[in-house]
Amino acid sequence: MLDNVAPIGRHAKPAPVLGAVARRERIARNAVRYFAFLFIALALVFAVVAAALKDVFFFRLATEALIYGGFAMGVDLLLGYAGLLSLGHALFFGLGAYVSGLVLKEWTASFWLALGTVLVAATVVGSIAGIIAIRARGVYFALITFGLAEVASKVVFNTRQLGGSDGIIGIPVVQANFLLFTVDSSHAGSFFLLVLVLIMAMYFALEALLQTPAGRLVVAIKANEHRVPFLGFSAQRYKLLAFILAANVTAMSGALYPMLRGFVSPELMFFQASGNAVITVILGGVGTLIGPLYGSVILSALKSIVGSYTEHHLIVIGVLFMISVIFFPKGLIGYLRPRLEAWLSRKERP
Amino acid sequence: MGGFIDTLQFVLAPQVVNGLSIGVAVILMALGLTIIFGLLDVINMAHGEFYALGAYLGVSLAAAGVNFWLMLLLVPLIMAPIGYLFERTLIQRVFHHKDRHILTLLLTFGLAIIMEDLFKVFYGPQALTAATPIEGASEIAGMFFPNYRLFLMAIGTAIIVVVWLVVYRTSLGAMVRAAAFDKNMASSLGVPVSHVYAGTFAFGVALAALSGVLLAPVYSVFPTMGKDFILMAFSVVIVGGLGSIKGAVIAGLVLTQIQAIASLYISPSWTDPLVFAIMVAVLMVRPQGLFGRLGHA
Repeated sequence: MLDNVAPIGRHAKPAPVLGAVARRERIARNAVRYFAFLFIALALVFAVVAAALKDVFFFRLATEALIYGGFAMGVDLLLGYAGLLSLGHALFFGLGAYVSGLVLKEWTASFWLALGTVLVAATVVGSIAGIIAIRARGVYFALITFGLAEVASKVVFNTRQLGGSDGIIGIPVVQANFLLFTVDSSHAGSFFLLVLVLIMAMYFALEALLQTPAGRLVVAIKANEHRVPFLGFSAQRYKLLAFILAANVTAMSGALYPMLRGFVSPELMFFQASGNAVITVILGGVGTLIGPLYGSVILSALKSIVGSYTEHHLIVIGVLFMISVIFFPKGLIGYLRPRLEAWLSRKERP
Repeated sequence: MGGFIDTLQFVLAPQVVNGLSIGVAVILMALGLTIIFGLLDVINMAHGEFYALGAYLGVSLAAAGVNFWLMLLLVPLIMAPIGYLFERTLIQRVFHHKDRHILTLLLTFGLAIIMEDLFKVFYGPQALTAATPIEGASEIAGMFFPNYRLFLMAIGTAIIVVVWLVVYRTSLGAMVRAAAFDKNMASSLGVPVSHVYAGTFAFGVALAALSGVLLAPVYSVFPTMGKDFILMAFSVVIVGGLGSIKGAVIAGLVLTQIQAIASLYISPSWTDPLVFAIMVAVLMVRPQGLFGRLGHA
């Protein structure tokens, strides 16, 4: 009888199928990593060209694209890995921007202190919002995050101490101290590189975290939430973990915003900002983390190109978004990745 | 004692009536949303824009010299085929996908963005005003109410009753409820499910557009008019239970009354956060809302 049962546990020989799965996963991981390296390379080429032309405008635009890309990366962590659609992630972007703006203006113009305070604030608010939001699933999760962000944005909008509808203006220029050198946020080129380093550091940190057992469980929740408890893990706990992590990624991106623009406005927390991040994720590629960065660059470029012809660029973006949802629901990187994977595995075989 | 009755008559009562007229308007919006979700599982993010489109159509038809009463008939008749086509050509494309909840939500969200910008292209960003078809005010128990608001409440209530009767008392409504309960079984019994789906979506869209025409004389007509209103309608639908007609009516009345009465005591700009906080609280305690879904008892 027992002979028919496949051996389990540590005495089991690794089945050849498992090796194939591991190999496929490694190729998939490498493929996404190539897209990340390509992104960095493209950003550096852009920086060299822009610096040679002594440009400021495009540096600022590209920095903003990176910041919004980081915002969308947080949304992708929830949607692409935990399977949770957040329609209110602007709450955390706004939180990061406001906390960072307040620290810089009212307390001290210290780059690291601003980021540290945002980290603490995002963890606290993310935990509270997460405990509320993860009780719901599917569309209810989308609606509860939407409601939470609406409450928060209305409160900020009505609070005179936070500048009300004007937001916070006159945020001073910051010097990021790296011991050996300092980066001035008013210098467009070096601030672009600083933001690039921070956003990519968050990307590689998330990629590494998703390889840990806790990260694998987050992915397992998306695959089959009801099966996770049978494996002996609390799905809720890992969902909360993913939520707090996503809140932090987005808030850290938000913290960079006032350093770039010198002001914070309540529009950053409105639904439009959350919706924009979701569009970015879908266009760039759900569940790739690097996709949202590509998506943000594409969207920013599109906005400034179409915007120079007409102020009604939302029609173009809306049509593109709908086409993407219907025909390419995996987005740009999601579409290109299998092709790169196929090429990589062909290259590896002989 | 006299002071108390005065407060009741001149402060509280007008506020309650005011809240009631907003409540009827919100319920009209919420009904379309909740029926579409109850049957198709689609969160229609473009519902507010369909409402705005109804109002804009009303403005255009009025400019072309069409009578207001004829408009109430014409606008839903124009909008229903648009809703039908949208469901058949776009929503059905992603309807059988694993993530259809999210994909249909995103699809209607994309449509909402496009429509809002199209309004700006064709009508400009400024607010337009629609003429009030019924002038004057009536005195009821020592208080004055604009006649159009009274008319709005009457016709709104009538529409709600008609929707209720259609869904619960006609064979058409039985088909809709059957398809919502079990689409495969309904299909085997000869219900043309795909047409019921598209037809229900068209019905919801027509209802939103009709509310747009009705409310245009009270609120002005501008590109984001749907967005401000849809938030309230969403809260109502969630508190009442997504997919529940009874829930939409009851929650619509309760929430708008809370908003109206609370604005006597706190600044009106804080009543919106209050309503959203109630919505979030209900989602936490009872995510499925207060009442059950369409087709489920």
